[in-house]
Amino acid sequence: MKEIDARGLACPRPVLQTQEVLRQGSCPSVKVIVDNGASQQNVQRFLESQGYRTTLAQSGADYLVIGTCSPAPGGLTGSSPGPGETVTPPASGAQKIMVLCATDRMGFGDDELGRKLMINYLRTLKEMGSDLWRLVFVNNGVKLTIDGSEVLDDLRGYEQAGLKILVCGTCLVHFNLLERKQVGETTNMLDIVTAMQLADKVISI
Amino acid sequence: MSFPTDENVLIGLDRADDAGVYKISDDIALIQTVDFFTPIVDDPYWFGQIAAANALSDVYAMGGIPKTAMSLVAFPAGEMDLDILRRIMQGAADKLREAGTVLIGGHSVVDKELKYGLSVTGIIHPERILAKKNLRPGDRLVLTKPLGTGIINTAVKAGLASAELTDRVTGMMAALNRGGSRIMADFDIHACTDVTGFGLLGHLAEMVCGSGTSVRLDAGRVPVIAEALEFANMGFIPAGAYHNREFRETMIAFSETVPRPLQDVLFDPQTSGGLLISVSEAHADPLVAALKAGGIKDAAPIGAVLADPEEKIWVV
Repeated sequence: MKEIDARGLACPRPVLQTQEVLRQGSCPSVKVIVDNGASQQNVQRFLESQGYRTTLAQSGADYLVIGTCSPAPGGLTGSSPGPGETVTPPASGAQKIMVLCATDRMGFGDDELGRKLMINYLRTLKEMGSDLWRLVFVNNGVKLTIDGSEVLDDLRGYEQAGLKILVCGTCLVHFNLLERKQVGETTNMLDIVTAMQLADKVISI
Repeated sequence: MSFPTDENVLIGLDRADDAGVYKISDDIALIQTVDFFTPIVDDPYWFGQIAAANALSDVYAMGGIPKTAMSLVAFPAGEMDLDILRRIMQGAADKLREAGTVLIGGHSVVDKELKYGLSVTGIIHPERILAKKNLRPGDRLVLTKPLGTGIINTAVKAGLASAELTDRVTGMMAALNRGGSRIMADFDIHACTDVTGFGLLGHLAEMVCGSGTSVRLDAGRVPVIAEALEFANMGFIPAGAYHNREFRETMIAFSETVPRPLQDVLFDPQTSGGLLISVSEAHADPLVAALKAGGIKDAAPIGAVLADPEEKIWVV
């Protein structure tokens, strides 16, 4: 393993020194030692752009970057991440699911059945756990958030547990229910569209 | 610590805005700001130009007109040729002239390290001050200069930037925000700041904190100097970018589709960057069109202000 001591060098010298060493010959593996976090990050980015797989480490006051050549041929032109590709580690666990309730019942055919299904659905949503990220009510759906709603306690419970509930302001005003909303934040179309963009999954009821 | 103040202070230490503002009468308030730094570029004339543009920018960001300026000089007299100082001051003087601002004095000290900058006084109508912290849900965000000067200056230091690129970026840093400020005065602007050392995301975070709103930033629409992405990918990122990121990490969430080099550029500390404007939704497209027509060709809509009171920045 080729060792490069770049301690005491001001940015961008550590990257330049690493570049110089790589130019001189092939290095299947290389260890670069720097004295600060920013240089460590910069050297990591450089090595990755040259086709190395990297790991970071710390040893006392020293910051280390260990690079090993990937099987694919690189060269000083290297392989850089293309648009849409990411070099960040995979997201940890939770996905972001948004549920959009555009009415106060589930399905068509029988409204009484639909009403009961919706109540059951909203109560069962807690099975999604922390994956449930946003619950949005529009049109008739806002009626589920006002006083007298059978799911009010359930929705309040979700909100207290950290779920963001968004209730369409235009819809509340249209039905003259603005003052009767008991749970959730009044929202607008921009926030709703943004939430759809950010969500990993959008479920529309 | 407590500092002296009185009822005419419209924007002071407690609000930490781009400049201080003091009411003189019902029609006039004074804007006061100061900026100085060590050389940004090798050429003394251009250093003076950039220092002046940088100092004037805070007045433009408040929506005001700079009127007078004074020089701040720290110079290693005896060790450095005085002609260098002469050229710095010429660069600054030419930029002030371009801005319609007069130089009415200054102060210098002997210092081992060269520094230059200016204290600037401007005027504004007390009711037209554009503070930082006034984002309104539904607003659109507009940026007037591309990002990447910090990264490219690092590459210049490494000797890796072409002469053409170096000149291009020098020109960007020396460009006044005067045109942008003048054009935006015709539109319904709610808040404004200029992008400098904290990078776009750092300055945006300043606007968001205390505003009771959140922001969606469309990373792909932010104007960026293309070479900055290449150099970021190769690790020519100034330490300041990492500090900027650490400082605001908890309030910023990146979508996985935003590539790392682009994330780096969004935190890249800028020198004399563009105006970051929060404009009402209806005026957003007309503002961008007017800026482009006015010669600010990189002006672009880059995001929107959300009603979500959590004060988070979502970068998609």
